[in-house]
Amino acid sequence: MLLKSVEYVRPGSVDEALHLLRSNAGAAPLAGGQSLSNILKHRVASVDVLVDISSLDELREIQRRPDGSIEVGACVTYDELDRSLGVRAGHEIIARVASHIEDSQIRNRGTIGGNCCLSDPTNNLPPLLIALDATMHVRSAGGSRRVPVEEFFKGYFLTALEPGELLTSVEIPALPAGARAGYASLNVAADSKAIVRSAARVKVNEVIEEARVVLARVAPVPIRHRGMEEALVGAAPTAESVRAAADTIGEDLEPVADSHGSSEYRRQMARVVARRAVLEAIGQGGGM
Amino acid sequence: MTATATSTAGTRERTAPWSGQSVARKEDGRLVQGQGSFIDDLGMHGQGYAWFVRSPHAHARIVSVDPSRALAAEGVYAVLTGEEAKQMCEVPFFQIAPGAGARIEEWPLAVDKVRYQGDAVAVVLADTRDAARDAAELVDVDYEPLAVVVDGVAAADPGAVVLHEEAGTNVAWHGTYDYGDIDWALESADHVVRIDRLHFHRFSSTPLECNGATVNWDRGSGMVEVKSNLQMPMFAAMVIGPTLGVPINKFSFSSRDIGGAFGNKIAFYPQIAALALLSRKAGRPAKWTEYRTEHMMTSTHGNERTFLDIEVPVMGDGSILGVKVRAYDDVGAYLHYEPLGAVIWSQVVPGCYKMKHVRVDFTTTLTNKCPVSPNRGYSRMQHLWMLERIIDIVAHELGFDPVELRKRNYVQPEDYPYETPNGCVYDSGDLPRSLDIALGLAQVDFWRRRKQELGTGKGKRVGIGIGSTLDSGTNNFGQARIINPDLPFSGNGEAALAKLDLYGEVNINLGTTPQGQSHETTSAQVAADILNMSPEDVTVTVGFDQAHNSFVGFSGTYASQFAVTGLGAVMGATEKLRDQILEVGSFALEAPKEELELSSGTCMVRGDPSRSIPFIGIANLVYTNNAVLPPELRSTVDLNCRYVYVPPFAVPDAEHKTGNLTLTYASQIHVCVVEVDEETGATEIVSYAAVDDCGNRVNPRIVEGQVHGAAALGIGAALYETFDYDEEGQLEQPSFYEYHAGTALDIPDIQSGYLESPSPFTPNGAKGMGEGGGAPLHAVCAAIQDVLGKDDAVVSDSHNSSERVYELLHSADHHRARGVTVVSRPSADA
Repeated sequence: MLLKSVEYVRPGSVDEALHLLRSNAGAAPLAGGQSLSNILKHRVASVDVLVDISSLDELREIQRRPDGSIEVGACVTYDELDRSLGVRAGHEIIARVASHIEDSQIRNRGTIGGNCCLSDPTNNLPPLLIALDATMHVRSAGGSRRVPVEEFFKGYFLTALEPGELLTSVEIPALPAGARAGYASLNVAADSKAIVRSAARVKVNEVIEEARVVLARVAPVPIRHRGMEEALVGAAPTAESVRAAADTIGEDLEPVADSHGSSEYRRQMARVVARRAVLEAIGQGGGM
Repeated sequence: MTATATSTAGTRERTAPWSGQSVARKEDGRLVQGQGSFIDDLGMHGQGYAWFVRSPHAHARIVSVDPSRALAAEGVYAVLTGEEAKQMCEVPFFQIAPGAGARIEEWPLAVDKVRYQGDAVAVVLADTRDAARDAAELVDVDYEPLAVVVDGVAAADPGAVVLHEEAGTNVAWHGTYDYGDIDWALESADHVVRIDRLHFHRFSSTPLECNGATVNWDRGSGMVEVKSNLQMPMFAAMVIGPTLGVPINKFSFSSRDIGGAFGNKIAFYPQIAALALLSRKAGRPAKWTEYRTEHMMTSTHGNERTFLDIEVPVMGDGSILGVKVRAYDDVGAYLHYEPLGAVIWSQVVPGCYKMKHVRVDFTTTLTNKCPVSPNRGYSRMQHLWMLERIIDIVAHELGFDPVELRKRNYVQPEDYPYETPNGCVYDSGDLPRSLDIALGLAQVDFWRRRKQELGTGKGKRVGIGIGSTLDSGTNNFGQARIINPDLPFSGNGEAALAKLDLYGEVNINLGTTPQGQSHETTSAQVAADILNMSPEDVTVTVGFDQAHNSFVGFSGTYASQFAVTGLGAVMGATEKLRDQILEVGSFALEAPKEELELSSGTCMVRGDPSRSIPFIGIANLVYTNNAVLPPELRSTVDLNCRYVYVPPFAVPDAEHKTGNLTLTYASQIHVCVVEVDEETGATEIVSYAAVDDCGNRVNPRIVEGQVHGAAALGIGAALYETFDYDEEGQLEQPSFYEYHAGTALDIPDIQSGYLESPSPFTPNGAKGMGEGGGAPLHAVCAAIQDVLGKDDAVVSDSHNSSERVYELLHSADHHRARGVTVVSRPSADA
């Protein structure tokens, strides 16, 4: 069969979903299905039970808290991220990035949880969530835990989730006072696969006080570039100092080569997109 | 007379004449409401579903094929292996090539060896498509991998691994085209510009609908019914008939709506033949619907061509005397329609230019890659791209303005009809004016100022490029003799039937296979004008059906010809029908034919509407009341009029490689403005104009749609789309994940304009069009060339990803070879 015959269950609650995931070794959660169904079609994963969590209200909420942080349910779609006033109020950049993911059919189905849990290095949201210092809320039948986003992505198509665990929501703190975010991507074509992308969060108080700079498509998972971050801290928020900081990106990277770009080109471009992301974050460029 | 304007699509109330108006498409209602009949919509009673077993290796010996596990799987009806298929065949597929190429033995499935990744070794039939797919994984094939050759030039080396041992070489064809005196021109020129290498890349036009067919070999009648989306069905019939031992009149080919073809659906006859044998073996119809990755890996790619050692003699005033070049066409693992690409380009030997001295040493090579077949702009596009690259490189190197250099060298309006060095005749046109219109539409004056302001080093650079191209249409199949003098082919033609049905309904029946070319609409317009009625009242039966008998050997939809051959046939058939209606009307109204006229479905005495007979009355007299007709009328009038339009061609001179190879030459002048990001090489098109001159336009909006479609495909190819193979012969872009087909987001607004220079050689002054697919490749490359500095390498590849543009921008820093040298005579004023 195109899709191997599988069992399909639509639980009525997260608890029921967790029970199903725990009691079936071959069970997998199905959210928007934009990645999982492709994986099944290509026969690279074996799943016996699809646990459809897409319509669980508990996973579809966006909460904006008084402190400005937001908690986004794992089954919130890209389109809902784009339209959410709660997201736009303090995290406009998330809405913008979500609005550029593929086409509207996919944005109507694909979810923030799926985008993270697949851990496809070309995905749009993981580098941004790392830059924004998100926390992943994970539950299992046995309890719950919070995973810092930087510990969540483990490798190609691999995350920190253990069997039976479910990502339930993503918590994104408010931007610290004086901080802004930036996002830049070099794509094969308009809104298509990324060759290299970068997300940044930079706090400025006369000088740059804090910087998180994330690069994607240069390693199996999005990575923070500590060298550039360190070079930024204490520097004046100027184009010159950002350029100098970006120049620390170099031989320490050994990006993959594929049909979308050579390793050397990716290394060169990492400097460019990281600089552009930071420039946007300090209000000196357009990003994207 | 020549007219010009930017396009408009009016909505005013329309009246005759219908030809020349943007009449709404008759096809749209059903196509946009999901009521079309595409290949996967069609099937046959009792059908099984086929799935091909394909090689993971690019080149390997087949040690064994064991279908036993597949045969034991649930739902499997049959498995056909390559060896079995061969045993069921009489002869290998017909080869167009002479000599070594003619010795190639190709069968419906691979026998003994596979020669490219995806080569089919067996095919499974089962009760569902999924069961067939599952069972295909159970066919055990033992391969012994062989060395691989993926470079089209290296494949010609005597030491290269040989794909087809029976041929003894990978060189499928070689010949020299030599016109004028290029040696004299090179000696006499003020400058000789030498370009080391230009490479035209592999891509395909990505039809939305992949290939497909349902085939039934009927045991009782011996009839082989083929429902497919082939765009030239009788070509497939003529190739596979002798192989299968089936006479043409035992085939029943049909094609209905086709979701894009672009030439890609001419040559999938091996699959059709395999399905026929599978059906014969299983005793039931075999339905196959190709998967996208299967399509990208095994259907067809466009011709990849490498040009080496290009020498261009140029005079001090910018006159380009000619070109000397070695060309290698890499056509993949089998010859499907090839090596016709080795001659098709010669329809446009000098391109849009008056150069007289041309020598092309042309080699067609076989490699361990997907076989090529025609792709929008087939073979001419590659050659025209090389010529346009030459023009821009000459301009860049010698300091000429690319606009002025083109205008100086273009065939001029007063030169038509213009005979090219190889005897082709350009029918009409006004290239300088087309270029001026395009420059205006693209607002080039504004962009030139912007380019000046920006200069270099400010992050963005502006580049302006021109693509001049010819869409040669209605080809003379006699050019095949230049490839192989023994081939009994020449001329061209198309058939149409015009008929009054039993109650007087007007019906036009064609043997063409439209894929968006709007044959229903334009045929109705033309017929309506002849019968003086509304096109809404003319029914056009579209899609090829062998049972309708409205076809000739060349029928199909390809090579920019319907406006000439198809509409020529419609005109001839409808005029015959009009004459028969008038004959019967003359009898019924007791008036001489000369005093009659047709109006909205009636035949009447001119000026006396009281003396009239409706078409239903005419039909009644002929079909159901014919005893009242006088005997001479009964025997001559049947209201079923068949007409074959045959263009006025002669047989080309195969020895000298000369002759009139195509009837019409539509032109497309494109202007592209790009902004290049200096830091990344990312190239964005910020202004784009296309001016098309295809003679009289039967339906301007349909022409404009073709212009936009062709431009979009070309832009996609220039910037995003490429099929590359690694050293093992593995395709690097087997899905849309890797192969980015241009989307609406990538394609800029296209400003389209037109000229109408009627063709003196066609029945309606129209020229075939629709293949202007090459012009964006020329224009985008020229625009990228325009952002580069004197010391940078020249744009030498037709595909320019951001990374390649980035490399070009930094080529001088890295002391990369520029790929071009200029030798000037001491006296020359450089």
